[in-house]
Amino acid sequence: MSTELDVFVGNTTVLDEDVYQLWLDGHTVSDAVRIRMEAGALQECEANAEILHSDTMDQFRTFQMCERLLQSPSKVANQLLFQIPPHHQTMLIERYYEFDSVFAREVLGKKLSKGTKKDLDDISSKTGIALKCCRRQFDNFKHVFKVVEELKGPLVENIQRHFLLSDVLARDYAAIVFFANSRFETGKRKLQYLSFQDFAFCAGQLISYWTVGAVDNMMEDLNVDLEKEFLHDLKDLKVLVNDKDMLDQHKSLVCAQLRGKIKVFSEMEASFKNLSRALVNIASKLTHTKDFRDLFIDLVEKFVEPCRSDKWTIGDLRLFLKHYSSSVRMLEAFRHQVIWDRYMGVIQSCILKMYHD
Amino acid sequence: NWNCWRLQDATCAWFTLSSLLDILTCSTLSAARSQHSLFFLSHNLSSSSSHTYTYDPVNPCVLMECVPPCSDRPGFGEETPGVPLSSGPPTPLRAQTFSSFSPSKSYSRQSSSSDTELSLTPKTGMGSGGSAGKEAGPLKVFLRQQTQSALEQREYPFFTLTAFPPGFLLHVGGVVSARSVKLLDRIHNPDEPETRDAWWEEIRQEIKSHAKALGCHAVVGYSESTSICEEVCILSASGTAAILSSRFMQDGPLDVEHRLSRQPLCVFSTGSERVEGDMGSSASLGFEEVVSPGCGFCHIPYDELNIPFPAQLTYCYCCRRYKVPDVLFTTIDLPTEANVTGKGCLIQARLCRTKKKAQGEGNATAISNLLPFLEYELHTQLMNKLKLRGMNALFGLRIQISVGETMLLGLASATGVYLTALPSPGGIQITGKTPSDITYEQHISNMQKKINDTITKNKELYEINPPEVVEEIIGSPIPEPRQRSRLFRSHSESSDEVSELDLSHGKKDAFVLEIDDTDAVEDIHALLTDFSIPAGFYSCNTEIMPGIQNWTSAIQMFTSVRVFRLNTNLTNQGLNKIFSDLCENLLKSLYFKLRSMVPCCLCHLNFTVAIPEDELIQVAVTAVAMSFDKEQTLENGKQSGEKTLIKAITDEQLQFSLELNAETSSPNPLSSPKGLSDVGSHPSARASSVDYSSFADRCSSWIEQLKLKAHTIRRGSVKTTSSMEKASPLPEGRSRSLRSNRSYSGSSVAVVKMTPLSFIPGAKIIKYLGIINMFFIRETTSLREEGGVSGFLHTFIAEVFAMVRAHVAALGGNAVVSYSMKECVFMENPNKNQAQCLINVSGDAVIFVRESELELTSVQPQSATTQTSNGGEGT
Repeated sequence: MSTELDVFVGNTTVLDEDVYQLWLDGHTVSDAVRIRMEAGALQECEANAEILHSDTMDQFRTFQMCERLLQSPSKVANQLLFQIPPHHQTMLIERYYEFDSVFAREVLGKKLSKGTKKDLDDISSKTGIALKCCRRQFDNFKHVFKVVEELKGPLVENIQRHFLLSDVLARDYAAIVFFANSRFETGKRKLQYLSFQDFAFCAGQLISYWTVGAVDNMMEDLNVDLEKEFLHDLKDLKVLVNDKDMLDQHKSLVCAQLRGKIKVFSEMEASFKNLSRALVNIASKLTHTKDFRDLFIDLVEKFVEPCRSDKWTIGDLRLFLKHYSSSVRMLEAFRHQVIWDRYMGVIQSCILKMYHD
Repeated sequence: NWNCWRLQDATCAWFTLSSLLDILTCSTLSAARSQHSLFFLSHNLSSSSSHTYTYDPVNPCVLMECVPPCSDRPGFGEETPGVPLSSGPPTPLRAQTFSSFSPSKSYSRQSSSSDTELSLTPKTGMGSGGSAGKEAGPLKVFLRQQTQSALEQREYPFFTLTAFPPGFLLHVGGVVSARSVKLLDRIHNPDEPETRDAWWEEIRQEIKSHAKALGCHAVVGYSESTSICEEVCILSASGTAAILSSRFMQDGPLDVEHRLSRQPLCVFSTGSERVEGDMGSSASLGFEEVVSPGCGFCHIPYDELNIPFPAQLTYCYCCRRYKVPDVLFTTIDLPTEANVTGKGCLIQARLCRTKKKAQGEGNATAISNLLPFLEYELHTQLMNKLKLRGMNALFGLRIQISVGETMLLGLASATGVYLTALPSPGGIQITGKTPSDITYEQHISNMQKKINDTITKNKELYEINPPEVVEEIIGSPIPEPRQRSRLFRSHSESSDEVSELDLSHGKKDAFVLEIDDTDAVEDIHALLTDFSIPAGFYSCNTEIMPGIQNWTSAIQMFTSVRVFRLNTNLTNQGLNKIFSDLCENLLKSLYFKLRSMVPCCLCHLNFTVAIPEDELIQVAVTAVAMSFDKEQTLENGKQSGEKTLIKAITDEQLQFSLELNAETSSPNPLSSPKGLSDVGSHPSARASSVDYSSFADRCSSWIEQLKLKAHTIRRGSVKTTSSMEKASPLPEGRSRSLRSNRSYSGSSVAVVKMTPLSFIPGAKIIKYLGIINMFFIRETTSLREEGGVSGFLHTFIAEVFAMVRAHVAALGGNAVVSYSMKECVFMENPNKNQAQCLINVSGDAVIFVRESELELTSVQPQSATTQTSNGGEGT
């Protein structure tokens, strides 16, 4: 005795958000039923395991049928097969494209290729996220990347327009696309303490201030490439550390401002030249692809770690960076103020974001 | 298998609309422009190709209130007129009625075995209705004769409609039904319909005679169905015997429409008031029966002195003047004007009976022998479950008998209600067979307690608290029920066992359930284990639930299909349990799935059972879940209920005149028939006393007209649209805004609502666009890859819905009403990785506007009439 066939189809597609989440998380039907039972679904409507199973099966089937549509979200509103109310459509799409930041952190900066896809097994066992779920997230990354790669205009807006995602999610995707495009090094052990959100924030800063699109948003192709001219101009900043007078003057200006205001004043005074040299050197080397990819590791090794070992507080760091970057204005011999501000604006906020345990 | 659905389609699909007002204009007109299309869809692993064939409707359904001899049903099998089965007449017609009347009155075709069946039917009065003879006087008799003669001019005074305008149903007698087992391979000439016509003829005659025996001249809520397995076919027909109002018959529906439009408030005045007198010619002639609309239909139509079966009659609990039966079973919807106490609920009786595998005549005999018991037990179950819920009437009763190789399946669904006019049902009394045994006694008393508790609980649940009435002792001409209604079961029919017991339940007479074998224990257990409906849910298989009026606009139509594989070698009890559980679980899972809509009511729960293969049971359900506002229901339920009623009628009226305007205002090459145009343009001009035969003439002339028109229209769809455009009763501005709303709203996909009901809550249907009737066939050769049978069918049903919606949207509509899935034939061959499915759906495409929108636009001046006559937008 067995149920051979069991379907339920509503004119308006019946969706349960919790079951959708279970499906997205890559659970099997029996797993999902167990989880729902544990969550107390049996209390509702005098249900039993059989009913729950049948309901879960129906929902999973529906989601499976919807998946094809969700891969190009603009189709969801224009398809005829499922009559889904708009708020449910939004929910379906948003949830489908949502990802685990732990997973995204693993993939970040990697090439979104078949090779990486093969590594998903490892990522799955490492993060505890079901393989099925990893695959979906990876495919989403790849899919978004492919679509926006050939589009003109601002990245975040493109993602939002083509995938109908919320602003927050679209920004996260922009970061992923940006990292995948620029292939920043994120996998080193020293960078492990950084979360996806840290990187996403940095990516947002870089996209907003350093890319081609930041200057002229009508450029062709993917405008998340950094502006070559700007990177080239960064070499000019070397004068800040190469010119000894200027370096001393800079230091005294900063010290004058910070005296008595930060706890780590003496340490700061001692390491000022090293820190300044590190930041300027990072800037001057960004034209080389290799060094550019090492941006984050360089920042951590050469700036964040020394500060951390001297036990700078975040407040001290903030104050230091503020005055370090603004004091340059008072150096009469320095003529690259605009470039400096553009560089330091981003670096400052990135460092502050990255400065934690 | 092809024969199977073709036959059913032709025989049972008379109407999708269910209102009298639709009967003439709408169904005929929409038949004329109906969209008959046949889709063949083949589905392969990677690609799916589809071909669309559109064909002219071969037989546009031009039924009036009478069933015509069906002439174009597709053929099946081979012909052999007269199938000698058992001893007896050449055609062993199995006939049975719920209103068990004297078999001698019915047609003489019954074999001796069917006589025994009839004697087995319960002695409780099921059929009912009423008109006490004393007060009525000669006028009433005359009136009835007049109506009767008008109806009897028709060969079969049968109405497939289930809802009628208030006052139309004078009396309801009870359910009449007839069944017949036939062998399809005995038809000589399968392409010709003669044999099949003869078969149906017999059954209809049977029904007609049953109705007569109940003192009724018409049958309403009539339907026919078939179940086929190999060469054996069960033909079934059932309906509700009734006496109809003559004034509606005389003046014809057009006049009804006019009358309603003029004084809808009067017709719908509160339930207890009497319908206003000045209504049509018959009233002016003084033939109108003075009956309150809320209980009139419950009064018995038969003569209480010559009661066709033993029944307990009491004076009506509403008017106290006429006799009513103790229970009333009907196949129609609950009349809108009926006085109901509390809420109703879905009541189902389910039964499975094993049968030996046999061939030909042997098989037919076996089935014939099983049928009466099956039907009888179904009936008993219904009765018990009705009592258990403390209710006294069933509406929308639908009994399906499905035949398989090794079993017979019976499913009876109905909506139970407590009619205020009928007496309160007694309880259920259980008796043991061996009262000496103490433990046994204890067991019995436990069960009795459970039953009593359940009844009390149910009464609370369904808010059944009828006003306490002082029992009046009625000088009933029938022997006072010392012989009490006993709960019958087929395996213990020796009725003399109980006659000595006095087991009155309070003052009421109790139903006695005797436990004499394991079957009985099972039965009682089944009775008690029927799960109670979850809080916030109501369910019914009729259009609406009494007592709920404040529908919100949230509706969810759904179809659910389950196929269950049985083990071999099951006993009857085992089978019963499985089948019952299957239905119960299906219902439970519906409640679970729709829990987000609470408080809501599942309306029009339509179960269809089939035995697609030897060990498979298929159950398909289509229904609509409608949310309602609980707060308001309690506060001003009554008031708004009336409002809805009026609205509903206005809708129909509008829909009606709209179609008529189409006739008159469009410069049609065909000249409109006189009667039609008269009413259309001068609604006040109404023939005061057209006799029925001329009405029929008029009808047939319309049909001719419509057939012609349909032919013209079919040539070009553009013309249809433009003529409909002109017919729009709306101010131009509004219809334009409707259109623009659709085309400019962000998404390109229009939302199309679907409902099996004839209305959409909170909305007004402003235009009927015609019948949607579509057949789909889908085949797959990659069953596993598509997610197995469930995946395949899920996709298919979703696609059927999508195609229906698209079709309606393409016609400019935004909803489908009276939607039904008439066929769902599913076949699989998992070994070959193949499956096939055929689905037939139908409904009416409509345009509706929300009442809130309507109020905004209704202030616009009605100057559009001149514009429209100039000839629309020509889109």
